[in-house]
Amino acid sequence: MSELKRTCLYDTHVSAGATMVDFGGWEMPVQYPTGIVAEHLYTRSKCSLFDVSHMGRLLVEGPDRVRFLQHVVSANVDALLPGRALYCILPDENGCAVDDAYLYRFEEDRLLLVVNAANIDKDLVHLEKYLGGYDCRITNISAEWACIAVQGPESKDLLMQLSGGEQITEPMKNYVNTLPLEGHLARIAKTGYTGEPLGYEVFVKTEDAAWLWNRLCELGARPAGLGARDTLRLEAGLPLYGHEMGKDPDGVPMPVYSAPVARFAVSFAPQKGDFIGRAALAKQYAAWQRIMNREGGDNSALPRRIMCIALKERGVMRAGMPLYKGDRQVGWVTSGTMVPFYKAEGEGLESVITDEVMKRAIGMAYADSELLPDDEVEVDIRGKRIKAVIAERHLDTMAPPYARPIIYGYTLAEHVPEEGSRLEKAVRLLEKAADNHEWRQSRCINLIPSENTPSRAVRLLSSSDPSGRYAEHKTVKSFYDKDIFYYQGTKFIDWVEQQLVEEMKLFLGSKEAETRVTSGQMANTAVFSALMDFKNRLNRKQTPLRLGYVLNNHIIKGGHLSAQPMGALHDYIAVDPVTEQNAVVNFPVCPDNIYKIDVEETKKVIAEYKPELIIFGKSMVLCKEPVAEIRKFVDEQGIKTTIMYDMAHVLGLIGPHFQEPFKEGAEIGTGSTHKTFFGPQRGVIGTNWDEDELKYELWETIQRRVFPGSVSNHHLGTMLGQLMAAYEMNTFKDEYQKAVIANAKHFAKALAARGLKVEGDPAMDYTETHQVIVSVGYGRGAEIAERLEKNNIIVNYQATPDEEGFTASGALRMGVSEMTRFGFGPAEFDKLADLIADCILNGKDVGEDAAALRDGYTAMRYCFNDEELGEALERLAGMLR
Amino acid sequence: MNNPVSLQYSRSHEWMSQEDDIAVVGITDFAQHELGDVVFINLPEVGDEVTAGEAFGDVESVKAVSDLISPVSGTVLEINEELLDSPELLNDDPYANWIIKVENVSDTEELLSAAAYADLCETEA
Repeated sequence: MSELKRTCLYDTHVSAGATMVDFGGWEMPVQYPTGIVAEHLYTRSKCSLFDVSHMGRLLVEGPDRVRFLQHVVSANVDALLPGRALYCILPDENGCAVDDAYLYRFEEDRLLLVVNAANIDKDLVHLEKYLGGYDCRITNISAEWACIAVQGPESKDLLMQLSGGEQITEPMKNYVNTLPLEGHLARIAKTGYTGEPLGYEVFVKTEDAAWLWNRLCELGARPAGLGARDTLRLEAGLPLYGHEMGKDPDGVPMPVYSAPVARFAVSFAPQKGDFIGRAALAKQYAAWQRIMNREGGDNSALPRRIMCIALKERGVMRAGMPLYKGDRQVGWVTSGTMVPFYKAEGEGLESVITDEVMKRAIGMAYADSELLPDDEVEVDIRGKRIKAVIAERHLDTMAPPYARPIIYGYTLAEHVPEEGSRLEKAVRLLEKAADNHEWRQSRCINLIPSENTPSRAVRLLSSSDPSGRYAEHKTVKSFYDKDIFYYQGTKFIDWVEQQLVEEMKLFLGSKEAETRVTSGQMANTAVFSALMDFKNRLNRKQTPLRLGYVLNNHIIKGGHLSAQPMGALHDYIAVDPVTEQNAVVNFPVCPDNIYKIDVEETKKVIAEYKPELIIFGKSMVLCKEPVAEIRKFVDEQGIKTTIMYDMAHVLGLIGPHFQEPFKEGAEIGTGSTHKTFFGPQRGVIGTNWDEDELKYELWETIQRRVFPGSVSNHHLGTMLGQLMAAYEMNTFKDEYQKAVIANAKHFAKALAARGLKVEGDPAMDYTETHQVIVSVGYGRGAEIAERLEKNNIIVNYQATPDEEGFTASGALRMGVSEMTRFGFGPAEFDKLADLIADCILNGKDVGEDAAALRDGYTAMRYCFNDEELGEALERLAGMLR
Repeated sequence: MNNPVSLQYSRSHEWMSQEDDIAVVGITDFAQHELGDVVFINLPEVGDEVTAGEAFGDVESVKAVSDLISPVSGTVLEINEELLDSPELLNDDPYANWIIKVENVSDTEELLSAAAYADLCETEA
């Protein structure tokens, strides 16, 4: 037997007391003295280090590198942009796996393929067999580079201590970066094999490996061995070659599509051509689709699939144990053990992970394809049939920073039905509504930046008669574009709408305005729908083409949900056939101010992608958007595009104190009327084309996509309120906008002066809008927002542009517009900053002080007062009594 | 490794103590260390017959399953029920946490002294 190979960290493992075992010809640590259970739990709660230097690192270089890889791996390598990584499979001609691998593109011209340690020689032989005809080479760099997996909720924090505070990678999975860690070059990928939402694989030169390992241990990470690596990946449902991939216990090769990861790892993109195993994989894919659609039919290409399985009785299942449904053997267990987890108490965002350790017997099985989650099966454990069940998953990784165990059979606490008769319930509803109104309007300091309180006149108008009416109408060419109404009794609302359109055109600085949309989201949907319709107007004989490319702000960088593929763009955005992803690119942001668009980098993106649509605007917004610069650039370059500004959050700030998108070159503006604007909850669209321009037709299309495309009844009550709000805004906007922006800047500085970490550029007093963002510590946003609410201060927690998502939120987003309207000025925001700092930093109870501060500021400013509106207002109020 | 001299040891890494007609059986420190984290235990029921040199149950660690071999023949008098919920007690202190008690002992395997068992462990380590 040949001598076992050792990684460059061998001595480090031995001196730490690791138990070393033979793993695929490598002498590797299976566990450290603390044991597998402790290592598993430490990974899930803190941060563990795994030596994965035994894995094969193959560098693929040369002009045909991408073409070659497209031929030999299952994934779409053309979609792998520099700075990203992807999981893939090395298929054979029969559609089975030679190996599975991760492909990293740290650099444009070199791709790193990381394969399983035991398969390196086999993989190299396999790959070299196909190398002929491609101008590229494969170099085994396994000896020159080491790799340490740094996994767990504290991994980012520990690595950032070594990077001097520099972000390690973009917060999304599968991003990679190259940066120095205390002077040592590191190539880092946000990837891993533990299921941890926060986990990195760090490639360093062999000579730096021991340094990095020891340095991370000093900072609080702990070593973990192959034992914990196996229980962690099993809990995460990740396949292990030789168990969930390769050959089944009968020695029959398992089709690639039997592993759930195949869905993401296999691409049939045209540019892949006839890659290895394509025909066989296509058959498996067809069978997989039939199985997923529960259609039955011939599934011989995919007779069994890998699924999660949980024991319902006492016991432990192990790889190789047969699985039964009744008397029929339906497969085998491929991996199984007992894994530990920390018990959680409570539900939802408020659930708390306790230090009580529980265990559960879970596994994965290779079983008949038709089996579904919740199907009852039995595992033959050494001659005894033990009840088990097919489970959807064992772990969920979508609520960073923690991976959360999904315990089979767990159900949320049942909804307790409200007691009493319907009349009693109706009375209770009224009482609760009054309590809520009183709290929010006189005892609460409202700092949610997307909210406002409408004036009394706006509220009264919104509930007056038209609130129950219909007034469908559209312009008709036969009548020289005269608006034609479908119902009688609508002359009043016709007058209201004409007034509102004029007021909104004036406010927006646009040539046209559409006011029937009932939300900002609907405004965007109507615009996207119209853009798509306009794009296809000259060819109605085919399925319309979707939009692509679109340039927008990424949601993680503060982008507005309504401008994302998961929001209003969903049904209108194309999939790029090359990348097989939504045809969306994002504005690059400035490295030194991640809240600001990087104009020069944006120009490069526009030149490369030639986006059909550019959408400015954000929901987490501290800076002006560079509309004028980008307008100038696309005009100079002759790039045909449409520039849109989603003003949702900043609609009420539009003007010389903030920015004037139409003056700066935007063609379309959308917004919601209840955030910084004074209105009830509605939307608005403005466009800026003249009648003789080609795109004026797009404006007409927008109107049609509003009615009948989006609304039939456009909520006439709030439309009346909206007209009053527009009168108020056009009368008071100069002083209101000036006050809001001055207050925001003052509030930001006041919070910073009290020791809070205010986001944004101090040189611009942190903000140019109504918003102030305070960082309160990674993952602590929700807890602190809840604490403030208990103290009568309402804010909303948000993930900053370098955090993973809302459950990992480390920031509070606050807006000053509503309290400005209630009369808060610099002195009041100073007091408020005192209260917030006391509550966050010192844990003080400030609820009564907050209520007292609010109590003096309940009268609405920047609107016509009751005396001015006089009898007309009281008459309407009397009628609504 | 500290194997109490008051106990006797089997070559399959169980310990036994005998008081009157009752044998108390557990696993050794070497065994628990080799197993790693014990996460599950299968025990016989009270009244079951056990046979010297044959399995009477098994222990599962995260990594693998191992049979528990009875050093004696007899009838199970008592099982340590605490281990069913907390098998990790075998890692914490294998000598304080017995596994079964056997009565009507009719046959006993040839067992080792603490010193002889320590030698055996050294050759296996």
